[in-house]
Amino acid sequence: MPTKKEDMYGDHISHQFNDDLSQLKSDFLDMGGLVEQQTIDAVNALIDGDSDAADEIRARDKVVDRMEMTLDEEATRLIARRQPAARDLRFVISVIKMVSDLERVGDEAKKIAKFALTLAEEGQAPRGYVEVRHIGNHVTTMLHDALDAFSRLDAHQALKIMREDKRVDEEYQAATRTLLTFMMEDTRNISRCMSVLWVLRALERVGDHACNIAENVIYMVEGEDVRHTPVEEAEKVVGR
Amino acid sequence: MTDRNTQAEIIRQSLKRRYRKERRFRAYGILAIAIALSALVVLFVDIIGKGHTAFIKTTVTLEVDIDPEMMYLDDATDERQLRMADFVEPLVQALLREVPGATEANRDAVRDLLNPYASNQLRDALKENPELLGTTQTMTFLTHTNVDVYVKHAGDEDYSIKLSDRQQAWVDQLLDKGVIETSFNDVLFSRGDSRDPSRAGILGAIVGSLLTMFVTLILSFPIGVAAAIYLEEFAPQNRFTDFIEVNINNLAAVPSIIFGLLGLAVFINLFGMPRSVPLVGGLVLTLMTLPTIIISSRAAIKSVPPSIREAAEGIGASKMQVVLHHVLPLALPGMLTGSIIGMAQALGETAPLLLIGMVAFIVDVPDGFLDSATVLPVQVFLWAGSPELAFIERASAAIMVLLAFLISMNALAIWLRKRLERRW
Amino acid sequence: MSTMNTLKPAVDKEVGASRDTVVPAHEERPESAVIEEAKTVGKPFSDDPKFKLRNVEVFYGQDRAIKNISLDIARNEVIAFIGPSGCGKSTFLRCLNRMNDSIDICRVRGSLLLDDQNIYDSKRDVVELRARVGMVFQKPNPFPKSIYDNVAYGPRIHGLANRKSDLDDIVENSLRKAGLWDEAKDRLDATATGMSGGQQQRLCIARAIAISPEVILMDEPCSALDPIATAKVEELIAEMSESYTIVIVTHSMQQAARVSHRTAYFHLGHLVEVNETNKVFTAPEHELTESYITGRFG
Repeated sequence: MPTKKEDMYGDHISHQFNDDLSQLKSDFLDMGGLVEQQTIDAVNALIDGDSDAADEIRARDKVVDRMEMTLDEEATRLIARRQPAARDLRFVISVIKMVSDLERVGDEAKKIAKFALTLAEEGQAPRGYVEVRHIGNHVTTMLHDALDAFSRLDAHQALKIMREDKRVDEEYQAATRTLLTFMMEDTRNISRCMSVLWVLRALERVGDHACNIAENVIYMVEGEDVRHTPVEEAEKVVGR
Repeated sequence: MTDRNTQAEIIRQSLKRRYRKERRFRAYGILAIAIALSALVVLFVDIIGKGHTAFIKTTVTLEVDIDPEMMYLDDATDERQLRMADFVEPLVQALLREVPGATEANRDAVRDLLNPYASNQLRDALKENPELLGTTQTMTFLTHTNVDVYVKHAGDEDYSIKLSDRQQAWVDQLLDKGVIETSFNDVLFSRGDSRDPSRAGILGAIVGSLLTMFVTLILSFPIGVAAAIYLEEFAPQNRFTDFIEVNINNLAAVPSIIFGLLGLAVFINLFGMPRSVPLVGGLVLTLMTLPTIIISSRAAIKSVPPSIREAAEGIGASKMQVVLHHVLPLALPGMLTGSIIGMAQALGETAPLLLIGMVAFIVDVPDGFLDSATVLPVQVFLWAGSPELAFIERASAAIMVLLAFLISMNALAIWLRKRLERRW
Repeated sequence: MSTMNTLKPAVDKEVGASRDTVVPAHEERPESAVIEEAKTVGKPFSDDPKFKLRNVEVFYGQDRAIKNISLDIARNEVIAFIGPSGCGKSTFLRCLNRMNDSIDICRVRGSLLLDDQNIYDSKRDVVELRARVGMVFQKPNPFPKSIYDNVAYGPRIHGLANRKSDLDDIVENSLRKAGLWDEAKDRLDATATGMSGGQQQRLCIARAIAISPEVILMDEPCSALDPIATAKVEELIAEMSESYTIVIVTHSMQQAARVSHRTAYFHLGHLVEVNETNKVFTAPEHELTESYITGRFG
């Protein structure tokens, strides 16, 4: 749809303002890319039982934290110095919120890496990592799409992600039930299954954060807050 | 691109040029002012040089033996006897007593030292005070104009001394004895015009000028201000008002003598008003001053900031209230200044007054708006045209008085403006 | 005339060019941003209007400075008019108490009702209108009189106080409401022009409220003031909004955002958008409003 909106931060009278906004945007996308990669790597490290990779991921979370602080500072400075209004204001506010979502995603990746280490010591879980692989793929795609929707200011794509979130929740429920049966079958599995369960839980959280980002993108583009509202409402907002 | 240093050098070069230009321009300005000032100095030096002696009078103080027999006068209360009596003889005798070496044979030459009106002065004194008859009184009389000129201008080539050598010697001796003295000329400020220069004064002209100015002020200020307010605030903007405006501006440039002709035709010939009176003079000068006052008042009204008008309108003042409460008080200093300068102009005006007969020879000080009068500039004009040098010096004195009036009026204008001007 | 008459701002070279704005070279308005005449976006109407303005047009000679504007101004609301220079916001404001009357070439068309009475009725007395609709101007313009006389002038000419004590009360109350009493009470006889700019402007507000108007029009009241004085005037506007309807024209968008309940965006004589101020400054509906508010032109 609106190709002109791609350049929506590029036509202020003040070039400085333009530069500040695009700097904020590209820094945010950098952080998003890093966090996405962290999640993918964490899931892979878990599946492959690669404890070196897991260590690396845990170390890299520091970078994510630093990026969060940088972005917050940039956003604060922009508000203080430029007093953004309307879509610029929504953009900056959304970035501030989405940055904390990204940072949480980074934390979740770190958590997954931690369980990857534990599981690498304990050995493979009885059922393997089918659910982890599946849900992991799903949520990283969602995260990727959310960042993509942000960079293109595409509310429709953001809406899709909100819908996807429901599916992730369902998949998570199903996976939990499956793992429960395994635990009931053999109590020796409990410890490892619990670890997998935690990983799944973390992945589900990543999905939630991706969904939050999508909601913020819709707010940014349409100016309407769609959090805590049924998806149908959000559809109406975007459909306008 | 020029690098910084060369650019600074270029600017420094051009700066020098600019400052040179500025200095040259300033020099031109100073030169212009110097020329104007020196012209003014020449004028003042000339006028004061010529006129300062007019402020001095020459008098002779005599022991007058008021002898009834000598005067053929028995009763100083009898009008008829007073008219017939000889008042010259006691004065001549008194003077003969003072002049060393003068005898009865010189009586004509001695008499000519005295002012011709001295005998009138003696008569007036007796008429007022009949008991003086038969006594000896010390009295001070004006000398003859010729003596006056000799005392003040002996040795001055411009003045012809009309006294004989013997008379001159007498006067010198009398001066040494203190019988003939010089003192401040109060006559100049206490009398009207006269054929005799030493008895001619400018009081009549001053009073005439004041009366004329009074009429002019009373008429032109209200009419001018009212016209200006109407034109500026109320008149619609159309061809008719444009026409009026153009005509007012034109009137300001019309030669003043035309106004004199107008006054002659309208006030005197048409309305049958008397000639030579301050009322008509005032009317004519009103016509002449009106355009000046209207133009300066309009400028003053225009300079009232629109924000004040808006403020008053914004709280619901009517047009009239805006004008009376706000515009007028703020424009008043400007209006007054314009009016005073217009009045000063009118004060110095001669030409239109010549045409309505204010150029007549009038001895008496006028005592009303319908009494024949003359004004200061016309008096100057009359005296300046006189062949007698003694009148010329009085003309210069009159000019000085006129200038003093003008300067004080302009000073008043400046003071009023400073005083009334309010900042906004 | 056709309501479908769409105008591209770039084509429309009226007013804007002649005013003081220097148009930056990169100022290119969004191509898609088209103003549809008489189609104001947002909520221009109110249930309880103080002013009911319909199809208002103002002409300066041949120029149409205000183009078919319809708007309600609600009772006791603060509404801000914003827009680029020459957009007609001041002209429109001045229609509300007929301050345009003194400009010969200015003509006003349409229906302008104050409490359902026509403002431009030929029988209507403009003095009475201005007593009800007060005005505060861009430059503080106190009369060159004493502080007391400035405030007392309105009540005096309208005959609102018969006794000196009544007048004193009005002056005190007005100065109190304008937040100037404490600063001015000891020097009521001092000339008003000796006060600071901010004090002068608050004095002008006191002068306007001394005749108890129902509406106060403010034409860029803070443009000549420093930030502290501006803050005081804004504070005053907030307090006054309880008892007056206030219409404020401002060049400062932050000011509009701070003081107003509703904001109206004008563009080249059109009323583009009217909305709750919150809405206008977070999510404006019209492309042009958005561009102006975010500093893309103006």
